[in-house]
Amino acid sequence: MGEMAVRVANLQKSYGEIRAVDRISFAVPVARVFTLLGPNGAGKTTTLEILEGIRDADQGEIEVFGKRVRRIDRAAKERMGVLLQEGNFEPYLRVKEVLRLFSAFFRSPRSLSDVLREVSLEEKENAFVKTLSGGQRQRLALGVALINNPDLVFLDEPTTGLDPQARRNIWSLVTGLTESGKTVILTTHYMEEAEALSNVVCIMDHGRIIAEGSPRELAAQLGRETLIEFVAPPGREPSRESLGPTCKAVHRDGDLVVVETEDLVATLARLLAWSGTAESALAGMTVRQPNLEDVFLSMTGRRLRE
Amino acid sequence: MSATLAIARAQVAVTLRERITLFWFLVFPLFLLALMTLIFSNVGEDGGDMTFEITLVNLDRPSPGSADFSAGIVEALRHLGEARAGGEDPLFALHVPGEGVEPHAYLDEELAALRVGTRAAVVVIPQGFSENAARAAFSSRETVSSKLSIHTSGGRTSSDLAASILDQVFATVDREILTRLGLFDASRSVVLARREIGTQGREFRYVDFLLPGVVLMGFLTAGLFSVPGTILFGREQRILRTYWVTPLDVPRYFAGFALGHAALCALQFGCVSLLGRFAFGARVDLLQPVPLLYLVLAAATSLAIGFLIAAVARTGNAGMAIANIINMPMMFLGGLFFPIGELPPALRAAMLVNPVTYLADGLRASTGAEAGVLPPIATVAVPLAWIALCLGVAVFRLRLDEKR
Repeated sequence: MGEMAVRVANLQKSYGEIRAVDRISFAVPVARVFTLLGPNGAGKTTTLEILEGIRDADQGEIEVFGKRVRRIDRAAKERMGVLLQEGNFEPYLRVKEVLRLFSAFFRSPRSLSDVLREVSLEEKENAFVKTLSGGQRQRLALGVALINNPDLVFLDEPTTGLDPQARRNIWSLVTGLTESGKTVILTTHYMEEAEALSNVVCIMDHGRIIAEGSPRELAAQLGRETLIEFVAPPGREPSRESLGPTCKAVHRDGDLVVVETEDLVATLARLLAWSGTAESALAGMTVRQPNLEDVFLSMTGRRLRE
Repeated sequence: MSATLAIARAQVAVTLRERITLFWFLVFPLFLLALMTLIFSNVGEDGGDMTFEITLVNLDRPSPGSADFSAGIVEALRHLGEARAGGEDPLFALHVPGEGVEPHAYLDEELAALRVGTRAAVVVIPQGFSENAARAAFSSRETVSSKLSIHTSGGRTSSDLAASILDQVFATVDREILTRLGLFDASRSVVLARREIGTQGREFRYVDFLLPGVVLMGFLTAGLFSVPGTILFGREQRILRTYWVTPLDVPRYFAGFALGHAALCALQFGCVSLLGRFAFGARVDLLQPVPLLYLVLAAATSLAIGFLIAAVARTGNAGMAIANIINMPMMFLGGLFFPIGELPPALRAAMLVNPVTYLADGLRASTGAEAGVLPPIATVAVPLAWIALCLGVAVFRLRLDEKR
């Protein structure tokens, strides 16, 4: 196993009766994107906040760059950059002033112009925070997280609430971070974000890790080749037998009928024949590979965003 | 730049850019100073109205059958308080204690009125005046004399004019009494003791009384509103949280916060002082070591009270509500704008626990604008006790992050 940026063992945190993080263990390899994926309330943010030094764990061991720490201290924070979920900046400070303020908190900050260029905010350097769009604010937050040239970057739900374009801008920045040797710990409840960015995904639910691996490995665990989906009213879906032996399952997810198959061509031919006799239009039919959403669904019976 | 300086700089920048904060922090104290100085400095000086507001407090109670010289003075002033021939306004509007009013308490109230300019002069006929006047008239010893006290407000035209007229009135009364007795002797005439209130040998005006009060009000406002506002809204909006994931620690944050508060208070003090000095001719000098010490103490007290509010309030709005509730009583029961005369016992108790009372008294006494009425040690000790109390509560209760 290669060098690890962070190791966590038996981490536990409770709020009263609620166990937010329940004895989880994982390791984050250097220069990789490690993603904690799960629905709201799964324990992702609490886990991250413990590693960021905002909260103390009730139990467990934490190791950062090979050094075991009881709690995240100042020395560890010098090597860390954090983009908080719903973090904010003074609305009446300018972009450049925010970066200058945060650069004063670190021993060896980067030049402001470098950071502004990296997050593409050069033209907004004199703009007040309150005038920035959602995407620009997140880029500023990312700039703040990178002001100390950190080895370890925490990104807590970095694209929540952003439009698709702004989201893709953030994704390209995150990809650039690992290319420059930084380790990224990401939380998200967007499975497509986790799939696009992650080298390793940890799926959390109710404070526990329920699956861990690369997105491809996790999807492969399902043993499903291809999924065919279409919209049909209740009671108007084909039986598994009618679609032939290569069809592994037919199930319903609301209005959506999901057909799992090992042989797309054979199953599709039988499905089209069935639609002719059953007078079904196969409305909105799509064909796709299994994803992390399917992994989560198969393990918990719930969707990520429920 | 160090983290402490960076925090202070950011705090100053944010305060000066936010319009509402800027108004309350800077514009309002300047406006208040200008408004109150313009209104109260010129009472009785509008030129067209030559009626002087005069108070007479007669403490003389001559024994039955003996000469009552004070009656002559009272009569003369009453006469001048009546309308003049030709329908002109009377020269004096005479104020005397009503039936059953305790004269010493009345005197305190009237001296306070003189201080703010609603009286031109206060005349006090002391106890034993008639007896002393008689002895002075018939005694061969020149050391025996009777005294009348005329309290005026130094530097105010109406007060100076009234005092001059009173001098003439009393000289005439005195001469008439002695002439009637066939004893007129210039060396035995009544001695008029002129006292300018609230001064220690220099001329002070209402603006000199008001200026320290407005400076303290500005500090108090900054402490009560700006400090908890920054902390509580910063906590709610998760601005502070972005600091705690960096190497910045809480002591350095507070050091920066306090430095920023001090810088803002200094800026406010500078602006108010300049306006008072150059627009209204204030002579009070606050840039002396002892007044500066009181100003630092006032800034620290307001900061500590701000921390206390931030510690007890759950939300930013609750913090602002608490600040609003305690702001007015602290200011108006602290003698910032008007001298505090005789107050009902409950209000007097509130005044005596109010740190502003001590700061205002100490600051004014240190500049010579007013003779302090509180023990000097109390003007330092009580604000220090408040600082200790507020910080003590804040250490245990103040949360800088959202609880989950």
